[in-house]
Amino acid sequence: MNWIAKDIDTYLLQKEYIDTLIVPLLKVETEPGNVKNSVSSSEFLMHLTTFIETQFKGRVMLMPPFAYTMSTELVVMAAGLSNDLSALHFKHVFYLTTDPAWTSMEMVGSVIWLPSIPLESMDPQLRQTILEDQLRQVLPRFVEKWSE
Amino acid sequence: MSNKVSRRQFLSYTLMGVGGFMASGMLMPMVRFAIDPVLQQSGGGDFIPTSQKVDDLTEIPVRVDFTIKDRKDAWYYSDVSNTAWVYKNGDTIIALSPVCKHLGCTVNWGGDETHPDQFFCPCHAGRYMKNGDNVKGTPPTGPLDEYEVKVEGGLLYIGKTVSNTLV
Repeated sequence: MNWIAKDIDTYLLQKEYIDTLIVPLLKVETEPGNVKNSVSSSEFLMHLTTFIETQFKGRVMLMPPFAYTMSTELVVMAAGLSNDLSALHFKHVFYLTTDPAWTSMEMVGSVIWLPSIPLESMDPQLRQTILEDQLRQVLPRFVEKWSE
Repeated sequence: MSNKVSRRQFLSYTLMGVGGFMASGMLMPMVRFAIDPVLQQSGGGDFIPTSQKVDDLTEIPVRVDFTIKDRKDAWYYSDVSNTAWVYKNGDTIIALSPVCKHLGCTVNWGGDETHPDQFFCPCHAGRYMKNGDNVKGTPPTGPLDEYEVKVEGGLLYIGKTVSNTLV
């Protein structure tokens, strides 16, 4: 499900099936030297989370991405997100990010860090293959939580 | 010389002309709206080429990817990647949509080790038979949709989805 009105209606009716929240965490870097890489990893993360959503549409809710800049206090943001998102009562929460800083944060739910892959120069077929590979990498993390 | 137009005649002609023009101005759009569905072009005939050779198909479903180019959603154009599960049943080619009828996840052929000859939805363990029929007792409420197919130059073309005709 996406964070859109149409899908929310389905979600409200089928709450017991849609029990997983996916939260993309996007780091926006503004130093001229890092902009290109930052953009590229945002693109990768958005492609991947959209792909996960299409594969598991009936089980996951994909949140709009939470973006932050370099000076954001991640500890504060992590505590705020954990606290606020728990009000939605999803059984499983997964934070997906390409920023390694999140792996050391205390959060309710699981943080999945992924190395960014520059997709922009690839032809669509290769891109699809890469995304499928990446999904296969994160899938065990989902299945592990789902089968608990 | 009676070809002189009287005041009365002139007024009645003018009124008729103007009135008729106004009436047709109102009626024309109405008629156009009424017959519009007949003039509408149907977009259903669009078949999308795939790279799947028809000769390579067997009785075992294989995944065929295809891309709908420039799909229009309001003002937004995008390429949409789609997949189908395609197999041969005798001489007929069957292409099933991978969208689970439960809540729209993507199903896989043989995704469940204990049921290698069924379609499996990883979200809530929904299962379908090879013809797309949903296995009773699993969450899905209906059979998988079918795609219209055609063959041109030995390659498979996939059209729009229709509800399952095999079950």
